[in-house]
Amino acid sequence: MAEAATLAAERISLAFGGHRVLSDVSLDFRAGQVTGLIGPNGAGKTSLFNCLTGLYRPQEGTIALGDMRLEGLAPARRAREGLARSFQHVALCPDLSVIENVMFGRARLGRSGWASAFLPLPRGRAEAADARATAERILARLGLAAFADDMPASLPPGTQRMVEIARAIVADPRVLLLDEPAAGLNAAETRHLTEALRALAGPDLVMVVVEHDMDLIMEVCDRIHVLNFGRLIASGTPAEIRADPEVVRVYLGDPDD
Amino acid sequence: MPDGMSVAEARPGARARSLGALPRDGLLLVLLAIVPSMLGGFWIYGIGVCMANAVAVLSVSFLLRYGGEVSIGQSFFLALGAYCVAMMEREVGVSVVVSLPVAAVVGVVLGLAFAWPSRALSGIYLAVATMALALAVPELILLLGPVAGGYEGLYVSRAPLVGVSVDLQRYYLPLVALAAVVLLLAHFRRSRQGLALLTARDHPRAAEAFGFSRGYARLAAFAISAGIAAIGGALLAFAASTVSPNSYTLWTAIYLLVGSVVSLGSLGLFGALVGGAFITLVPQVLASWGDWVPILYGLALLVVVVLGDRPAEALTKLRKRLAGGRGG
Repeated sequence: MAEAATLAAERISLAFGGHRVLSDVSLDFRAGQVTGLIGPNGAGKTSLFNCLTGLYRPQEGTIALGDMRLEGLAPARRAREGLARSFQHVALCPDLSVIENVMFGRARLGRSGWASAFLPLPRGRAEAADARATAERILARLGLAAFADDMPASLPPGTQRMVEIARAIVADPRVLLLDEPAAGLNAAETRHLTEALRALAGPDLVMVVVEHDMDLIMEVCDRIHVLNFGRLIASGTPAEIRADPEVVRVYLGDPDD
Repeated sequence: MPDGMSVAEARPGARARSLGALPRDGLLLVLLAIVPSMLGGFWIYGIGVCMANAVAVLSVSFLLRYGGEVSIGQSFFLALGAYCVAMMEREVGVSVVVSLPVAAVVGVVLGLAFAWPSRALSGIYLAVATMALALAVPELILLLGPVAGGYEGLYVSRAPLVGVSVDLQRYYLPLVALAAVVLLLAHFRRSRQGLALLTARDHPRAAEAFGFSRGYARLAAFAISAGIAAIGGALLAFAASTVSPNSYTLWTAIYLLVGSVVSLGSLGLFGALVGGAFITLVPQVLASWGDWVPILYGLALLVVVVLGDRPAEALTKLRKRLAGGRGG
């Protein structure tokens, strides 16, 4: 297991043309905690998420995982530093079975070369067997063992989402970034997801959840950051966030409504 | 109401395809292995060329399957492999078993050299860029001068084995090579690089998020495809016993593309043979059709565009739609 480190974003500013989507945002995501990132539509939470994954390069500010600076690194390089993510729109390969999709999550760790890709050489075989065993273990842990040989398209959306999470955790990431994991799920599936996310939290894992489903956020998260109009307006425990008058005003809404 | 669908309902018929094609492919190989003892010289020659062409078709199907891209420039890499064999025989005096691996390596290297500057292109733009390769081939060969035999081309006569009929060698080498390429590709499908390329084709961002950049995926898919094409070219030179500039024109590249579509983009033995047979036979048949040929190929290219990079799936969908089903 990799050592625990905090994922910290310092003074992030991001603009598209003249349109400013993030202004001077500083926040951190700590190991051992599940941190929620919430806010109304257009608040900049997806933009911040994309800055963390490397899809966007902020014009100002720094992003660091422990001592490692990330802001200049491409997404593929960040994966090597231990970042893993899921996608809002499920991005599993339709030609690969469930277990192959999960095994792909470990592909970058492989050391076998191109000869092993084409020939059944001992090293490549050992690596593939190891990747399969690890993927099987992760699938079992998430209650997906029965679907290992199914094709993703044949599974309901909630199960597909869980497969994506399995793919993200199969390489023992230091940071797990989940982009609206409950989007499109029904109540039962969301329930299952909530339990699974709680079970995934570990002392060394930084877990970030961008989500609209407040019940899930309040139940799963240890800490929550609230964004509005590209600024951080509150950070705290679920209880503190619920009690914050500004958060209630701009986002959670009046309980009497 | 997809959200309400229970897990149990979603399962039947959902199992991943197994290696069900193996017994059929085995039978096909046995059949091909005994062909020379049953049929005459013309057939042995024809089927030998057809198997070499099948490898060339595989190179197009590979790029389609693993890169999601269409190449109209495979004749360049085909010519590369073919001239490697012919020129090495003429200059160094070695047979195809020595020059074929060299051809594969040169194909991969030049594939990389082409893929690097064009890595940001995709779809029709990449296809047009590859077309430039195909258009350049005959001129490039003539530029090489007498060493490449000029318009006349070169003759490939040296056989790897002494004391065995050359005609039989021209048949069995493509057969063995085709089976080997199919097996290598089947293994590749299960490798970590194979998983990465397939994921990158459908979800480049997902591949990036797990450590494989778009540039890596493009270069790898193109280089392997070019390597296979060069092997196909080397086999073709040996099976057909000659190479000449007019065997590697833009039309050759289009034939290969159409052959890949006819084989439904298959990377299996049977599909590759169907594609290989198509591009071996159809030009002969069409030779008497005159002005209609370009029109037919235009139509065939339209079919390529309509079926996209998953011809088999697109065809299934089309069949369902024609049957009036709404997909349940």
